[in-house]
Amino acid sequence: MSDNEVSMKVNGSTVSAKLDSRTLLVHFLREHLNLTGTHVGCDTSQCGACTVHVNGIPAKSCSIFAVQLENAEVTTIEGVANGNDLHPMQKAFRDNHGLQCGYCTPGMIMQAIDIARRYDKPTEHEIRHELEGNLCRCTGYHNIVKSVKAGVKAIHDT
Amino acid sequence: MYIGEPVLRREDEKFLRGKGQYVDDIRLTEPIAHAAYTRTPHAHAKIVNISTNKAASMPGVLAVLTGRDWLDAGFGEADGVWPVKDKDGKTANTVNRPFLAVEKVRYVGECVAMVIAEDRYQALDAAEAVEVSYDVLPANAVTSKALDEDAPILHEELGTNLVLETHHGNKFAVDEAFSKASHITEVEVPSNRVTACPIEPRSYLGHYDPINDQYTFWSSTQAPHIVRKYFTNSMRIPEHKLRVIAPDVGGGFGMKLYHYPEEPTVLWAAKVVGKPVRWTGTRSESLVSDTHARDHFTRGKIAFDTNGKILAMSFRTMAAYGAYEGQFQASIANAYHYCLLSCGYDIPAIYAEIKGVYTNSTPVDAYRGAGRPEAVYQVERLIENAAHELGIDPLELRERNLIQANQMPYKTAVDITYNVADLPVLMTKAKKLARYDELREEQENLRKKGIYMGIGTCVFFDMAGAGPTKMMNELGAKIGCYDVASCRVHPSGKVTIFAGSHSHGQAHETTWSQIAADRLGCDIEDIELVEGDTDRVPFGIGTWGSRSLSTAGMAVAVSADRIIEKANKLAAHMLECAVEDLIREEGGFTVKGTDRSITFADVADAAYHRGDRPEGLEIGLEETVFYDPKDCNYPSAVHICVVLVDPKTGNVTLRDYTAVDDVGTIINPMVLEGQVHGGLVQGIGQALMEECAYDSETGQYVSGTFMDYAMPRASDLPSFALDSYTTLDPDNPLGIKGAGESGTLGAPACVCNAIVDAIWGLGVQQVTQPMTPRKIWHAIQNANGN
Repeated sequence: MSDNEVSMKVNGSTVSAKLDSRTLLVHFLREHLNLTGTHVGCDTSQCGACTVHVNGIPAKSCSIFAVQLENAEVTTIEGVANGNDLHPMQKAFRDNHGLQCGYCTPGMIMQAIDIARRYDKPTEHEIRHELEGNLCRCTGYHNIVKSVKAGVKAIHDT
Repeated sequence: MYIGEPVLRREDEKFLRGKGQYVDDIRLTEPIAHAAYTRTPHAHAKIVNISTNKAASMPGVLAVLTGRDWLDAGFGEADGVWPVKDKDGKTANTVNRPFLAVEKVRYVGECVAMVIAEDRYQALDAAEAVEVSYDVLPANAVTSKALDEDAPILHEELGTNLVLETHHGNKFAVDEAFSKASHITEVEVPSNRVTACPIEPRSYLGHYDPINDQYTFWSSTQAPHIVRKYFTNSMRIPEHKLRVIAPDVGGGFGMKLYHYPEEPTVLWAAKVVGKPVRWTGTRSESLVSDTHARDHFTRGKIAFDTNGKILAMSFRTMAAYGAYEGQFQASIANAYHYCLLSCGYDIPAIYAEIKGVYTNSTPVDAYRGAGRPEAVYQVERLIENAAHELGIDPLELRERNLIQANQMPYKTAVDITYNVADLPVLMTKAKKLARYDELREEQENLRKKGIYMGIGTCVFFDMAGAGPTKMMNELGAKIGCYDVASCRVHPSGKVTIFAGSHSHGQAHETTWSQIAADRLGCDIEDIELVEGDTDRVPFGIGTWGSRSLSTAGMAVAVSADRIIEKANKLAAHMLECAVEDLIREEGGFTVKGTDRSITFADVADAAYHRGDRPEGLEIGLEETVFYDPKDCNYPSAVHICVVLVDPKTGNVTLRDYTAVDDVGTIINPMVLEGQVHGGLVQGIGQALMEECAYDSETGQYVSGTFMDYAMPRASDLPSFALDSYTTLDPDNPLGIKGAGESGTLGAPACVCNAIVDAIWGLGVQQVTQPMTPRKIWHAIQNANGN
């Protein structure tokens, strides 16, 4: 169990740490940086509650070692809003009742923001396919799909 | 008016920003130690020896604890809260789940030892280093075999695997009806074993303050006051010494209601090591240790007369209890379950024999629907097969047997009375929304092209809002089933509501505030809701069983009404008029016909600081209500769905799903729809893909991770078409009925019937849940004689 030094940017700020090489990115975020918005919901990379952005692309933080990310730029759910103003995708989830217990929500939003990056006008079928890697047990996905559709539109309209 | 409006949720901001506080997020001023559990890999074995030395000497390890240590500490058990008497009036063969096994293990994953270490990784490493030697025994996890002569007996002192046998309805009337029947349909209608899988695993954090001899316990639970009660039995901590906090909880679905092995042991460990201790389950631990659900092996029979009217139904059920009796389980399998066996139909005679049995598997207990999805499934599958056998359209056959509006209140053949509903209206609305007539046409056209489309339906009541305490006691409950709310008006006129319910996604912060704001006549922004803390909320029974609106929600309404009654008296005194001359306007009080008025805030301030008051009116403005409902309530629904089955692969596409619900007064239609959506998908998951699978030879648990336990994904599902119809519940002033479990009750029946409808013409009459592609493909092959 060696101590490894790593330095990366998280939500725009540089952070450095000496870590056990086994430390998962999700544990680094939650336990070392106290960014508890990224959640753990499984142990086989299925549920997507741990989804963050690494260098602008969604990644499951349960499946990356923190020490792999030297000089990477990580964005978590805490880094998505613009100060007091919610990100349009966050607003869309609120306006469309896209969350109930809130546990899968950060991962859903991180994935949804990336859907907006890659699609101009995704169909329902495309949105549902893009959400395959994010499990929700509360909402039945119906309103999450509505939220993503509305959020993508809001992002492209601004 | 807030009630009836789709008010956006007030609790969303923190969740959207990742600022929720789930138990694993809690940070204290001192470092928190971590617990990990050594779990048995065997389904059934004697524990020969547990050696903890190696584990205890590993880096960072603070303690290693076993079941022997628990007994030496003089602690107790996870006693049941809802014992049910058997058919002869005797108590059940109850054996509670031990917290840490001592002499035997009886299911894969049972806890054998506990390690507490400074960090999570050290605890996990050391838990693997605890050395346990076992004498492995034969195991049985197959429910239908539990009472076979050669079935391994789990609890030798009992000499049997029978927990409890109950009989319901009228066997004589049923036998008579069957002897006169013109048509009888018989089907095996088992319900598969599933588990709740909230995305947040169970998590507990224990803290002991030796200076004040005070315990604090954070629990991912649905019922903090009930957890506090559990501790009086297990660790024998009196209630005034323990604060239980349920912060944000990431889904519960009935599973997060029990005193699991990890719960009291975490608090015990905190005392032992002198540091706060936390355990958060991994998903593989959750899948094997969270209570499982359903797992009924049932054979059903239904009798019809020459006009397709149902004469009687009869069921023989073996209900899996798992390795130990769950704390609510008897009420699920042997009480709640039979209560809905009439579904939405006028059935003169029903008889059910239910045998609860022990098997080498995870204990079974309540999960959204709790015994009632099994009932709806049994009845609806029988009617579906009968319709096809008789050559009558499945909806037509159901419509012939629907309980009519003029039959309400309707006393069923299992002695439960449905009070208000209009099922024919629900059916008409559902058929219209689903475009049923066009669907049958489409089905025929597609069949000509070799495409197998199926249409499924179900009609049912739920029994929600448990319940009047006296009635629940008579059914076996050892806890009250009311709920509690305190309405505290502060001197500034702002309001805090303390409620004994606990929202883990159900939006109480919004809906309870809607109710209070309407009853108080104030702005919703002036209200704050507190739930989930036994130090702040006087008492509560927690959120489960679609009960909170008709118990806690009503307590909120009544406490607000009492506030206004008092405020009126004080306002009238301040305005020197009679109470009858007051008008409530914009939240204030005005004397009729004048412009003399005062604000609600004026009255609130006077309530605390003004000595000049009406004779006998006590100072202050706070009311606590323990609201005991007059009856359970009976929401109803009709579902219609469409599937496409590919006979070459067995693959099922769920194309459309329509649900029309009668839940009485709707407080927030947006929240209601969300609850229906969520329940539907859990029911669809049970129908199509979910299964807690055990190896039939060894009892080894096979669905160990999300790689094997199939969870419904967005890509598996359509969007839903919902509608509602309101008949007011007569027993509560708001006319409300519960709604949270409706989806899980109907979807398994509806989806499975659609599949049967699709492939009946291929010679398939029976597929069991989950109706996976493999099972459907095999059924089609077997029907073709392949």
